[in-house]
Amino acid sequence: MFPLPLEILLLFTVTTPAAGWAGEKLHRRSICALYAASGLTASGIALSQMFTQLSSGQPFPASNDTLFSAVFKVDTLGIFMATIFTVVGLAATIYSIKYMEKDSGTIIYYTLLMAMISGLTGIVFAGDLFTLYVFWELMSIASYVLVAFRKEEWEPVEAGFKYLMMSAAASATILFGLSLLYGMAGTLNFEGLAATLGSSPPNCWMYVAALFILVGFGVKTAVFPLHTWLPDAHSAAPTPVSALLSGVVIETGVYALTRTFFTAFASTETRLFILLASLSVLTMFVGNVTALLQNDLKRLLAYSSIGQVGYVLAGVAIGTELGLTGAVAHIFNHALMKGTAFLCAGAVVYKLGSRRLDEMSGVGRRMPVTAAVFAISLFALIGMPPLNGFASELTLVTAAVQADASWLGVALILNSVISAAFYLRVLRTLLQPVSSEKVEKTKEAPFLMLLPMCALAVLILIFGIWPDQLLRFAQQAASNLLGGR
Amino acid sequence: MISLSYYIVFAISLYIIGLYCLATKRNMIRLVLGIEILMNAAHISFIAFAAYVSPGMVDPLAHSIVMVSIGLAGAVSAVGLTLVVYAYRHYGTLDVRELRRLKG
Repeated sequence: MFPLPLEILLLFTVTTPAAGWAGEKLHRRSICALYAASGLTASGIALSQMFTQLSSGQPFPASNDTLFSAVFKVDTLGIFMATIFTVVGLAATIYSIKYMEKDSGTIIYYTLLMAMISGLTGIVFAGDLFTLYVFWELMSIASYVLVAFRKEEWEPVEAGFKYLMMSAAASATILFGLSLLYGMAGTLNFEGLAATLGSSPPNCWMYVAALFILVGFGVKTAVFPLHTWLPDAHSAAPTPVSALLSGVVIETGVYALTRTFFTAFASTETRLFILLASLSVLTMFVGNVTALLQNDLKRLLAYSSIGQVGYVLAGVAIGTELGLTGAVAHIFNHALMKGTAFLCAGAVVYKLGSRRLDEMSGVGRRMPVTAAVFAISLFALIGMPPLNGFASELTLVTAAVQADASWLGVALILNSVISAAFYLRVLRTLLQPVSSEKVEKTKEAPFLMLLPMCALAVLILIFGIWPDQLLRFAQQAASNLLGGR
Repeated sequence: MISLSYYIVFAISLYIIGLYCLATKRNMIRLVLGIEILMNAAHISFIAFAAYVSPGMVDPLAHSIVMVSIGLAGAVSAVGLTLVVYAYRHYGTLDVRELRRLKG
Protein backbone atom coordinates (compact mmCIF):
# COMPACT_ATOMS: atom_id res chain seq x y z
CA MET A 1 0.00 0.00 0.00
CA PHE A 2 1.48 3.31 -1.09
CA PRO A 3 0.69 6.71 0.40
CA LEU A 4 -2.40 8.13 -1.32
CA PRO A 5 -0.76 10.89 -3.46
CA LEU A 6 1.78 8.41 -4.81
CA GLU A 7 -0.91 5.86 -5.48
CA ILE A 8 -2.92 8.39 -7.48
CA LEU A 9 0.15 9.37 -9.49
CA LEU A 10 1.06 5.78 -10.30
CA LEU A 11 -2.52 4.99 -11.27
CA PHE A 12 -2.60 7.96 -13.64
CA THR A 13 0.82 7.03 -15.04
CA VAL A 14 -0.43 3.60 -15.98
CA THR A 15 -3.72 4.84 -17.44
CA THR A 16 -2.37 7.85 -19.36
CA PRO A 17 -1.74 5.78 -22.53
CA ALA A 18 -5.42 4.74 -22.54
CA ALA A 19 -6.50 8.36 -22.22
CA GLY A 20 -4.09 9.30 -25.00
CA TRP A 21 -5.46 6.56 -27.23
CA ALA A 22 -9.03 7.77 -26.62
CA GLY A 23 -7.85 11.31 -27.40
CA GLU A 24 -6.35 10.21 -30.73
CA LYS A 25 -9.62 8.50 -31.62
CA LEU A 26 -11.60 11.65 -30.83
CA HIS A 27 -9.01 13.87 -32.60
CA ARG A 28 -8.42 15.85 -29.42
CA ARG A 29 -4.75 15.38 -28.61
CA SER A 30 -4.92 17.63 -25.57
CA ILE A 31 -7.09 15.07 -23.73
CA CYS A 32 -3.94 13.16 -22.82
CA ALA A 33 -2.30 16.23 -21.28
CA LEU A 34 -5.47 17.23 -19.47
CA TYR A 35 -5.77 13.71 -18.07
CA ALA A 36 -2.20 13.87 -16.77
CA ALA A 37 -2.83 17.34 -15.34
CA SER A 38 -5.97 16.13 -13.56
CA GLY A 39 -3.93 13.31 -12.06
CA LEU A 40 -1.43 15.80 -10.71
CA THR A 41 -4.24 17.97 -9.33
CA ALA A 42 -5.83 14.99 -7.59
CA SER A 43 -2.50 14.06 -6.07
CA GLY A 44 -2.03 17.67 -4.94
CA ILE A 45 -5.40 17.58 -3.16
CA ALA A 46 -4.46 14.30 -1.46
CA LEU A 47 -1.18 15.92 -0.41
CA SER A 48 -2.91 18.90 1.17
CA GLN A 49 -5.17 16.54 3.12
CA MET A 50 -2.13 14.65 4.33
CA PHE A 51 -0.58 17.93 5.39
CA THR A 52 -3.58 18.98 7.46
CA GLN A 53 -3.61 15.53 9.02
CA LEU A 54 0.08 15.79 9.84
CA SER A 55 -0.12 19.32 11.24
CA SER A 56 -3.08 18.42 13.45
CA GLY A 57 -0.82 15.77 15.00
CA GLN A 58 -2.77 12.71 13.94
CA PRO A 59 -0.53 9.76 13.12
CA PHE A 60 -0.83 8.15 9.73
CA PRO A 61 -2.23 4.65 9.55
CA ALA A 62 0.93 2.57 9.85
CA SER A 63 2.04 0.96 6.61
CA ASN A 64 2.27 -2.80 6.77
CA ASP A 65 5.96 -3.09 7.54
CA THR A 66 6.51 -6.67 6.52
CA LEU A 67 9.95 -7.67 5.34
CA PHE A 68 9.16 -7.71 1.64
CA SER A 69 6.95 -4.68 1.21
CA ALA A 70 8.09 -1.25 0.15
CA VAL A 71 8.57 0.90 3.22
CA PHE A 72 7.15 4.40 3.28
CA LYS A 73 7.44 7.03 5.93
CA VAL A 74 5.76 10.35 5.25
CA ASP A 75 6.98 13.36 7.21
CA THR A 76 6.89 17.13 6.83
CA LEU A 77 9.98 17.22 4.62
CA GLY A 78 8.49 14.61 2.31
CA ILE A 79 5.21 16.49 1.97
CA PHE A 80 7.11 19.74 1.44
CA MET A 81 9.15 18.27 -1.41
CA ALA A 82 6.17 16.47 -2.95
CA THR A 83 4.26 19.77 -3.04
CA ILE A 84 7.07 21.31 -5.10
CA PHE A 85 7.02 18.41 -7.54
CA THR A 86 3.28 18.63 -7.98
CA VAL A 87 3.28 22.40 -8.56
CA VAL A 88 6.15 22.46 -11.05
CA GLY A 89 4.96 19.24 -12.68
CA LEU A 90 1.47 20.66 -13.19
CA ALA A 91 2.91 23.83 -14.73
CA ALA A 92 5.16 21.81 -17.05
CA THR A 93 2.29 19.54 -18.11
CA ILE A 94 -0.02 22.42 -19.03
CA TYR A 95 2.84 24.17 -20.79
CA SER A 96 3.55 21.03 -22.82
CA ILE A 97 0.10 21.09 -24.47
CA LYS A 98 1.19 23.89 -26.77
CA TYR A 99 4.92 23.29 -26.74
CA MET A 100 4.76 19.64 -27.80
CA GLU A 101 1.87 20.21 -30.21
CA LYS A 102 3.90 19.47 -33.35
CA ASP A 103 5.76 16.44 -31.97
CA SER A 104 4.67 12.90 -32.59
CA GLY A 105 4.41 10.39 -29.77
CA THR A 106 3.03 12.81 -27.20
CA ILE A 107 1.21 9.94 -25.47
CA ILE A 108 4.56 8.43 -24.52
CA TYR A 109 5.77 11.88 -23.54
CA TYR A 110 2.99 12.47 -21.00
CA THR A 111 3.26 8.93 -19.67
CA LEU A 112 6.98 9.41 -19.07
CA LEU A 113 6.38 12.82 -17.52
CA MET A 114 3.92 11.27 -15.07
CA ALA A 115 6.33 8.37 -14.42
CA MET A 116 9.09 10.86 -13.62
CA ILE A 117 6.89 12.81 -11.21
CA SER A 118 5.71 9.60 -9.50
CA GLY A 119 9.33 8.55 -9.17
CA LEU A 120 10.19 11.88 -7.58
CA THR A 121 7.28 11.65 -5.16
CA GLY A 122 8.23 8.09 -4.29
CA ILE A 123 11.78 9.19 -3.47
CA VAL A 124 10.65 11.70 -0.90
CA PHE A 125 8.10 9.36 0.69
CA ALA A 126 10.48 6.40 0.93
CA GLY A 127 11.17 5.06 4.39
CA ASP A 128 14.13 2.91 3.49
CA LEU A 129 17.05 3.35 1.17
CA PHE A 130 16.15 0.58 -1.23
CA THR A 131 12.63 1.91 -1.80
CA LEU A 132 14.31 5.24 -2.43
CA TYR A 133 16.64 3.56 -4.92
CA VAL A 134 13.82 1.89 -6.85
CA PHE A 135 11.94 5.17 -7.24
CA TRP A 136 15.24 6.86 -8.06
CA GLU A 137 15.63 4.49 -11.00
CA LEU A 138 12.01 5.07 -12.07
CA MET A 139 12.72 8.80 -12.16
CA SER A 140 16.10 8.35 -13.86
CA ILE A 141 14.95 6.02 -16.61
CA ALA A 142 11.99 8.26 -17.42
CA SER A 143 14.30 11.26 -17.55
CA TYR A 144 16.82 9.57 -19.90
CA VAL A 145 14.08 8.95 -22.41
CA LEU A 146 12.61 12.43 -21.95
CA VAL A 147 15.98 14.11 -22.56
CA ALA A 148 16.39 12.18 -25.81
CA PHE A 149 12.72 12.56 -26.72
CA ARG A 150 13.30 14.40 -30.01
CA LYS A 151 15.29 11.50 -31.38
CA GLU A 152 15.26 12.76 -34.95
CA GLU A 153 17.77 15.49 -34.01
CA TRP A 154 21.37 14.71 -33.14
CA GLU A 155 21.67 16.97 -30.10
CA PRO A 156 19.14 15.29 -27.76
CA VAL A 157 20.48 11.84 -28.63
CA GLU A 158 24.06 12.79 -27.86
CA ALA A 159 23.08 14.60 -24.65
CA GLY A 160 20.81 11.73 -23.64
CA PHE A 161 23.53 9.14 -24.12
CA LYS A 162 26.02 11.18 -22.13
CA TYR A 163 23.45 11.68 -19.39
CA LEU A 164 22.55 7.99 -19.32
CA MET A 165 26.17 6.89 -19.06
CA MET A 166 27.05 9.16 -16.16
CA SER A 167 23.78 8.77 -14.36
CA ALA A 168 23.55 4.98 -14.68
CA ALA A 169 27.14 4.61 -13.47
CA ALA A 170 26.15 6.84 -10.57
CA SER A 171 23.13 4.65 -9.81
CA ALA A 172 25.38 1.58 -9.69
CA THR A 173 27.70 3.47 -7.36
CA ILE A 174 24.79 4.30 -5.08
CA LEU A 175 23.78 0.64 -5.04
CA PHE A 176 27.31 -0.36 -4.10
CA GLY A 177 27.30 2.17 -1.29
CA LEU A 178 23.95 0.82 -0.12
CA SER A 179 25.33 -2.72 -0.07
CA LEU A 180 28.16 -1.56 2.20
CA LEU A 181 25.66 0.18 4.47
CA TYR A 182 23.56 -2.96 4.52
CA GLY A 183 26.60 -5.03 5.41
CA MET A 184 27.37 -2.78 8.35
CA ALA A 185 23.88 -2.24 9.71
CA GLY A 186 21.92 -5.27 8.48
CA THR A 187 19.07 -3.00 7.42
CA LEU A 188 18.41 -0.16 5.02
CA ASN A 189 15.56 1.39 6.97
CA PHE A 190 16.27 5.03 7.84
CA GLU A 191 15.29 4.53 11.47
CA GLY A 192 17.33 1.36 11.71
CA LEU A 193 20.33 3.04 10.14
CA ALA A 194 20.07 5.99 12.48
CA ALA A 195 19.84 3.64 15.46
CA THR A 196 22.76 1.39 14.52
CA LEU A 197 25.22 3.50 12.55
CA GLY A 198 24.18 7.03 13.49
CA SER A 199 25.20 6.66 17.10
CA SER A 200 28.27 4.41 16.78
CA PRO A 201 31.76 5.89 16.30
CA PRO A 202 32.70 6.06 12.62
CA ASN A 203 35.06 3.46 11.20
CA CYS A 204 36.84 3.49 7.86
CA TRP A 205 34.11 1.53 6.02
CA MET A 206 31.64 4.23 6.96
CA TYR A 207 33.78 6.74 5.08
CA VAL A 208 34.03 4.40 2.09
CA ALA A 209 30.26 3.99 2.01
CA ALA A 210 29.79 7.74 2.48
CA LEU A 211 32.14 8.38 -0.44
CA PHE A 212 30.25 5.96 -2.71
CA ILE A 213 26.92 7.52 -1.82
CA LEU A 214 28.24 11.08 -2.11
CA VAL A 215 29.62 10.37 -5.59
CA GLY A 216 26.45 8.58 -6.65
CA PHE A 217 24.00 11.25 -5.59
CA GLY A 218 26.54 13.92 -6.50
CA VAL A 219 26.31 13.08 -10.19
CA LYS A 220 22.55 13.67 -10.24
CA THR A 221 23.00 16.81 -8.16
CA ALA A 222 25.78 18.05 -10.49
CA VAL A 223 28.36 18.65 -7.76
CA PHE A 224 31.45 20.24 -9.26
CA PRO A 225 33.65 17.58 -10.84
CA LEU A 226 30.62 15.49 -11.80
CA HIS A 227 28.53 18.20 -13.43
CA THR A 228 29.59 17.82 -17.06
CA TRP A 229 26.43 16.09 -18.27
CA LEU A 230 24.06 18.72 -16.89
CA PRO A 231 24.37 21.61 -19.36
CA ASP A 232 24.05 19.24 -22.33
CA ALA A 233 21.09 17.29 -21.01
CA HIS A 234 19.21 20.29 -19.64
CA SER A 235 19.58 22.33 -22.80
CA ALA A 236 18.84 19.51 -25.25
CA ALA A 237 15.67 18.30 -23.51
CA PRO A 238 12.26 19.72 -24.48
CA THR A 239 11.79 22.88 -22.41
CA PRO A 240 9.07 21.65 -20.00
CA VAL A 241 11.35 18.72 -19.22
CA SER A 242 14.31 21.07 -18.70
CA ALA A 243 12.19 23.04 -16.26
CA LEU A 244 11.48 19.85 -14.32
CA LEU A 245 15.06 18.57 -14.53
CA SER A 246 16.63 21.84 -13.45
CA GLY A 247 14.04 22.86 -10.94
CA VAL A 248 13.23 19.55 -9.34
CA VAL A 249 15.31 16.53 -10.31
CA ILE A 250 18.71 17.88 -9.30
CA GLU A 251 17.26 18.95 -5.96
CA THR A 252 16.18 15.38 -5.35
CA GLY A 253 19.84 14.43 -5.30
CA VAL A 254 20.41 16.96 -2.52
CA TYR A 255 17.38 15.58 -0.70
CA ALA A 256 18.63 11.98 -0.88
CA LEU A 257 22.11 13.08 0.18
CA THR A 258 20.70 14.97 3.14
CA ARG A 259 18.47 12.10 4.19
CA THR A 260 21.31 9.56 4.21
CA PHE A 261 23.86 11.90 5.75
CA PHE A 262 21.64 12.91 8.63
CA THR A 263 20.63 9.36 9.48
CA ALA A 264 23.31 6.83 8.58
CA PHE A 265 26.32 9.12 8.58
CA ALA A 266 25.29 11.38 11.45
CA SER A 267 28.43 10.46 13.38
CA THR A 268 30.79 11.39 10.53
CA GLU A 269 29.10 14.69 9.92
CA THR A 270 31.73 17.00 11.43
CA ARG A 271 34.50 15.60 9.23
CA LEU A 272 32.33 15.62 6.15
CA PHE A 273 31.50 19.28 6.77
CA ILE A 274 34.76 20.54 5.26
CA LEU A 275 34.40 18.25 2.24
CA LEU A 276 30.79 19.22 1.57
CA ALA A 277 31.43 22.91 2.21
CA SER A 278 34.41 23.09 -0.15
CA LEU A 279 32.51 21.11 -2.80
CA SER A 280 29.60 23.51 -2.49
CA VAL A 281 31.84 26.57 -2.90
CA LEU A 282 33.56 25.03 -5.93
CA THR A 283 30.19 24.09 -7.42
CA MET A 284 28.88 27.64 -7.02
CA PHE A 285 31.92 29.24 -8.58
CA VAL A 286 32.20 26.81 -11.49
CA GLY A 287 28.48 27.04 -12.27
CA ASN A 288 28.24 30.80 -12.10
CA VAL A 289 31.54 31.65 -13.79
CA THR A 290 30.93 29.25 -16.68
CA ALA A 291 27.44 30.67 -17.10
CA LEU A 292 29.05 34.05 -17.78
CA LEU A 293 30.64 32.65 -20.95
CA GLN A 294 27.52 31.13 -22.50
CA ASN A 295 25.78 32.36 -25.60
CA ASP A 296 23.01 29.76 -25.54
CA LEU A 297 20.08 30.81 -23.36
CA LYS A 298 19.18 27.33 -22.13
CA ARG A 299 22.81 26.39 -21.48
CA LEU A 300 23.21 29.59 -19.48
CA LEU A 301 20.23 28.70 -17.32
CA ALA A 302 21.53 25.13 -16.94
CA TYR A 303 24.91 26.36 -15.71
CA SER A 304 23.23 28.74 -13.31
CA SER A 305 21.37 25.71 -11.91
CA ILE A 306 24.75 24.25 -10.98
CA GLY A 307 25.50 27.47 -9.13
CA GLN A 308 22.18 27.37 -7.30
CA VAL A 309 22.75 23.75 -6.26
CA GLY A 310 25.97 25.00 -4.70
CA TYR A 311 23.93 27.36 -2.47
CA VAL A 312 21.67 24.51 -1.36
CA LEU A 313 24.66 22.27 -0.64
CA ALA A 314 26.20 25.04 1.46
CA GLY A 315 23.08 24.95 3.64
CA VAL A 316 23.36 21.17 3.97
CA ALA A 317 27.06 21.41 4.79
CA ILE A 318 26.38 23.90 7.61
CA GLY A 319 24.05 21.28 9.04
CA THR A 320 22.46 23.39 11.78
CA GLU A 321 18.70 23.76 11.91
CA LEU A 322 18.90 27.24 10.39
CA GLY A 323 21.20 26.02 7.61
CA LEU A 324 18.86 23.20 6.71
CA THR A 325 15.89 25.57 6.85
CA GLY A 326 17.65 27.78 4.33
CA ALA A 327 18.54 24.80 2.16
CA VAL A 328 15.00 23.41 2.14
CA ALA A 329 13.47 26.83 1.49
CA HIS A 330 15.98 27.45 -1.28
CA ILE A 331 15.08 24.11 -2.88
CA PHE A 332 11.46 25.26 -2.97
CA ASN A 333 12.31 28.71 -4.26
CA HIS A 334 14.78 27.45 -6.81
CA ALA A 335 12.17 25.07 -8.22
CA LEU A 336 9.78 28.00 -8.69
CA MET A 337 12.37 30.45 -10.04
CA LYS A 338 14.26 28.12 -12.36
CA GLY A 339 11.03 26.49 -13.50
CA THR A 340 9.65 29.90 -14.50
CA ALA A 341 12.92 30.97 -16.11
CA PHE A 342 13.12 27.82 -18.21
CA LEU A 343 9.48 28.05 -19.25
CA CYS A 344 10.01 31.68 -20.34
CA ALA A 345 13.19 30.76 -22.21
CA GLY A 346 11.20 27.98 -23.86
CA ALA A 347 8.50 30.43 -24.94
CA VAL A 348 11.13 32.66 -26.54
CA VAL A 349 12.79 29.69 -28.27
CA TYR A 350 9.39 28.38 -29.40
CA LYS A 351 8.46 31.66 -31.03
CA LEU A 352 11.87 32.72 -32.31
CA GLY A 353 13.29 29.33 -33.28
CA SER A 354 16.76 30.07 -31.94
CA ARG A 355 18.48 29.59 -28.61
CA ARG A 356 21.36 31.97 -29.31
CA LEU A 357 21.41 35.05 -27.14
CA ASP A 358 22.92 37.31 -29.85
CA GLU A 359 19.98 36.60 -32.16
CA MET A 360 17.53 37.44 -29.40
CA SER A 361 18.07 41.15 -28.98
CA GLY A 362 14.79 42.93 -28.66
CA VAL A 363 12.55 39.90 -28.32
CA GLY A 364 11.24 41.32 -25.06
CA ARG A 365 9.68 44.22 -26.93
CA ARG A 366 7.70 41.83 -29.10
CA MET A 367 6.76 39.47 -26.21
CA PRO A 368 6.04 41.84 -23.33
CA VAL A 369 4.28 39.40 -20.99
CA THR A 370 6.98 36.75 -21.37
CA ALA A 371 9.67 39.37 -20.82
CA ALA A 372 7.96 40.65 -17.66
CA VAL A 373 7.62 37.16 -16.20
CA PHE A 374 11.19 36.35 -17.23
CA ALA A 375 12.38 39.51 -15.47
CA ILE A 376 10.59 38.49 -12.27
CA SER A 377 12.18 35.05 -12.28
CA LEU A 378 15.66 36.40 -13.08
CA PHE A 379 15.47 39.03 -10.33
CA ALA A 380 14.36 36.30 -7.94
CA LEU A 381 17.34 34.16 -8.99
CA ILE A 382 19.70 37.04 -8.29
CA GLY A 383 18.11 37.43 -4.86
CA MET A 384 16.42 40.81 -5.09
CA PRO A 385 14.62 41.69 -1.84
CA PRO A 386 10.91 41.62 -2.62
CA LEU A 387 11.17 38.23 -4.36
CA ASN A 388 11.46 34.76 -2.92
CA GLY A 389 15.13 34.08 -3.68
CA PHE A 390 16.12 36.77 -1.20
CA ALA A 391 14.51 35.18 1.85
CA SER A 392 16.18 31.81 1.45
CA GLU A 393 19.59 33.18 0.44
CA LEU A 394 19.52 35.48 3.44
CA THR A 395 18.69 32.52 5.68
CA LEU A 396 21.62 30.59 4.23
CA VAL A 397 24.05 33.48 4.79
CA THR A 398 22.80 34.02 8.35
CA ALA A 399 23.18 30.31 9.08
CA ALA A 400 26.74 30.35 7.72
CA VAL A 401 27.70 33.27 9.92
CA GLN A 402 26.07 31.76 13.01
CA ALA A 403 27.87 28.46 12.47
CA ASP A 404 31.27 30.21 12.41
CA ALA A 405 31.70 29.58 8.72
CA SER A 406 31.60 33.15 7.50
CA TRP A 407 33.72 32.23 4.48
CA LEU A 408 30.76 30.22 3.20
CA GLY A 409 28.51 33.24 3.62
CA VAL A 410 31.02 35.43 1.81
CA ALA A 411 31.20 32.92 -1.05
CA LEU A 412 27.40 32.92 -1.25
CA ILE A 413 27.18 36.70 -1.48
CA LEU A 414 30.04 36.85 -3.98
CA ASN A 415 28.25 34.32 -6.15
CA SER A 416 25.01 36.26 -6.04
CA VAL A 417 26.95 39.19 -7.47
CA ILE A 418 28.57 37.09 -10.20
CA SER A 419 25.21 35.57 -11.10
CA ALA A 420 23.67 39.05 -11.35
CA ALA A 421 26.11 39.74 -14.19
CA PHE A 422 24.75 37.09 -16.51
CA TYR A 423 21.11 37.25 -15.45
CA LEU A 424 21.09 40.97 -16.15
CA ARG A 425 22.83 40.33 -19.46
CA VAL A 426 19.89 38.16 -20.51
CA LEU A 427 17.48 40.92 -19.51
CA ARG A 428 19.47 43.56 -21.40
CA THR A 429 19.46 41.41 -24.51
CA LEU A 430 15.70 40.98 -24.30
CA LEU A 431 15.10 44.72 -23.94
CA GLN A 432 17.52 46.02 -26.57
CA PRO A 433 16.03 47.73 -29.60
CA VAL A 434 14.75 45.27 -32.18
CA SER A 435 17.55 44.49 -34.62
CA SER A 436 16.68 41.69 -37.01
CA GLU A 437 13.82 40.85 -39.31
CA LYS A 438 13.27 37.55 -37.50
CA VAL A 439 12.69 39.26 -34.15
CA GLU A 440 10.43 41.81 -35.81
CA LYS A 441 8.01 39.07 -36.82
CA THR A 442 7.93 37.39 -33.40
CA LYS A 443 4.60 37.43 -31.56
CA GLU A 444 3.57 36.92 -27.95
CA ALA A 445 3.49 33.30 -26.75
CA PRO A 446 0.11 31.49 -26.81
CA PHE A 447 -2.17 31.63 -23.77
CA LEU A 448 -1.62 28.02 -22.69
CA MET A 449 2.09 28.73 -22.35
CA LEU A 450 1.60 32.06 -20.59
CA LEU A 451 -0.79 30.58 -18.03
CA PRO A 452 1.66 28.29 -16.15
CA MET A 453 4.43 30.89 -16.45
CA CYS A 454 2.29 33.62 -14.91
CA ALA A 455 0.97 31.28 -12.21
CA LEU A 456 4.53 30.42 -11.15
CA ALA A 457 5.53 34.09 -11.27
CA VAL A 458 2.62 34.96 -8.98
CA LEU A 459 3.85 32.28 -6.56
CA ILE A 460 7.34 33.84 -6.68
CA LEU A 461 5.83 37.21 -5.74
CA ILE A 462 3.63 35.75 -2.99
CA PHE A 463 6.45 33.81 -1.34
CA GLY A 464 8.73 36.81 -1.79
CA ILE A 465 6.47 39.24 -0.02
CA TRP A 466 5.21 36.83 2.66
CA PRO A 467 8.04 34.34 3.21
CA ASP A 468 7.09 33.61 6.86
CA GLN A 469 4.76 30.74 6.06
CA LEU A 470 7.31 29.12 3.77
CA LEU A 471 10.17 29.53 6.23
CA ARG A 472 8.08 28.10 9.07
CA PHE A 473 7.21 25.09 6.94
CA ALA A 474 10.88 24.72 5.95
CA GLN A 475 11.95 24.98 9.57
CA GLN A 476 9.51 22.23 10.55
CA ALA A 477 10.94 20.07 7.80
CA ALA A 478 14.51 20.81 8.93
CA SER A 479 13.88 20.03 12.58
CA ASN A 480 12.10 16.90 11.42
CA LEU A 481 15.23 15.86 9.58
CA LEU A 482 17.51 16.58 12.54
CA GLY A 483 15.10 14.91 14.95
CA GLY A 484 15.23 11.78 12.86
CA ARG A 485 18.66 10.93 14.19
CA MET B 1 33.36 -20.99 5.20
CA ILE B 2 35.24 -18.52 3.03
CA SER B 3 35.99 -15.27 4.75
CA LEU B 4 33.81 -12.28 3.83
CA SER B 5 36.78 -10.15 2.84
CA TYR B 6 37.40 -12.24 -0.30
CA TYR B 7 33.93 -11.43 -1.51
CA ILE B 8 34.36 -7.75 -0.81
CA VAL B 9 37.69 -7.68 -2.63
CA PHE B 10 36.06 -9.48 -5.56
CA ALA B 11 33.12 -7.05 -5.66
CA ILE B 12 35.38 -4.01 -5.47
CA SER B 13 37.67 -5.33 -8.19
CA LEU B 14 34.63 -5.99 -10.37
CA TYR B 15 33.56 -2.40 -9.72
CA ILE B 16 37.00 -1.15 -10.75
CA ILE B 17 36.88 -3.28 -13.92
CA GLY B 18 33.53 -1.67 -14.75
CA LEU B 19 34.92 1.83 -14.23
CA TYR B 20 37.97 0.93 -16.34
CA CYS B 21 35.65 -0.24 -19.09
CA LEU B 22 33.69 3.03 -18.95
CA ALA B 23 36.86 5.09 -19.02
CA THR B 24 38.75 3.38 -21.83
CA LYS B 25 36.34 1.72 -24.24
CA ARG B 26 35.18 3.56 -27.34
CA ASN B 27 32.42 1.29 -28.54
CA MET B 28 29.10 2.51 -27.17
CA ILE B 29 27.72 -1.00 -26.70
CA ARG B 30 30.72 -1.84 -24.55
CA LEU B 31 29.97 1.22 -22.46
CA VAL B 32 26.45 -0.09 -21.83
CA LEU B 33 28.01 -3.42 -20.80
CA GLY B 34 30.33 -1.49 -18.48
CA ILE B 35 27.27 -0.17 -16.67
CA GLU B 36 26.04 -3.75 -16.31
CA ILE B 37 29.37 -4.79 -14.78
CA LEU B 38 29.10 -1.96 -12.27
CA MET B 39 25.59 -3.03 -11.30
CA ASN B 40 26.67 -6.64 -10.93
CA ALA B 41 29.51 -5.65 -8.64
CA ALA B 42 26.93 -4.10 -6.33
CA HIS B 43 24.71 -7.19 -6.59
CA ILE B 44 27.57 -9.53 -5.66
CA SER B 45 28.37 -7.38 -2.68
CA PHE B 46 24.72 -7.51 -1.53
CA ILE B 47 24.55 -11.29 -1.89
CA ALA B 48 27.81 -11.75 -0.04
CA PHE B 49 26.68 -9.59 2.86
CA ALA B 50 23.34 -11.43 3.00
CA ALA B 51 25.11 -14.59 4.15
CA TYR B 52 27.11 -12.82 6.84
CA VAL B 53 24.85 -10.10 8.23
CA SER B 54 22.96 -12.39 10.61
CA PRO B 55 24.91 -15.48 11.62
CA GLY B 56 23.38 -18.84 10.86
CA MET B 57 20.93 -17.73 8.19
CA VAL B 58 20.82 -16.07 4.78
CA ASP B 59 18.99 -12.76 4.91
CA PRO B 60 16.18 -12.81 2.30
CA LEU B 61 16.01 -8.99 2.24
CA ALA B 62 19.22 -8.67 0.23
CA HIS B 63 18.11 -11.35 -2.20
CA SER B 64 14.83 -9.58 -2.91
CA ILE B 65 16.73 -6.32 -3.32
CA VAL B 66 19.04 -7.90 -5.88
CA MET B 67 16.12 -9.47 -7.72
CA VAL B 68 14.42 -6.08 -8.14
CA SER B 69 17.68 -4.42 -9.00
CA ILE B 70 18.48 -6.89 -11.80
CA GLY B 71 15.20 -5.86 -13.40
CA LEU B 72 16.12 -2.19 -13.07
CA ALA B 73 19.55 -2.83 -14.60
CA GLY B 74 17.84 -4.53 -17.53
CA ALA B 75 15.60 -1.50 -18.05
CA VAL B 76 18.58 0.85 -17.97
CA SER B 77 20.51 -1.14 -20.55
CA ALA B 78 17.42 -1.36 -22.76
CA VAL B 79 17.18 2.43 -22.80
CA GLY B 80 20.95 2.66 -23.28
CA LEU B 81 20.95 0.34 -26.28
CA THR B 82 18.02 2.23 -27.80
CA LEU B 83 20.02 5.43 -27.56
CA VAL B 84 23.00 3.66 -29.13
CA VAL B 85 20.80 2.72 -32.09
CA TYR B 86 19.66 6.32 -32.56
CA ALA B 87 23.19 7.63 -32.13
CA TYR B 88 24.33 5.17 -34.78
CA ARG B 89 21.66 6.47 -37.16
CA HIS B 90 22.82 10.06 -36.67
CA TYR B 91 26.57 9.58 -36.60
CA GLY B 92 27.02 6.42 -38.64
CA THR B 93 29.49 5.00 -36.14
CA LEU B 94 29.56 3.35 -32.74
CA ASP B 95 32.71 5.23 -31.71
CA VAL B 96 31.84 7.35 -28.70
CA ARG B 97 34.61 9.83 -29.48
CA GLU B 98 32.55 11.05 -32.42
CA LEU B 99 29.88 12.27 -29.98
CA ARG B 100 31.73 15.49 -29.37
CA ARG B 101 29.56 18.07 -31.04
CA LEU B 102 28.18 19.53 -27.81
CA LYS B 103 30.60 21.99 -26.30
CA GLY B 104 30.79 24.77 -23.75
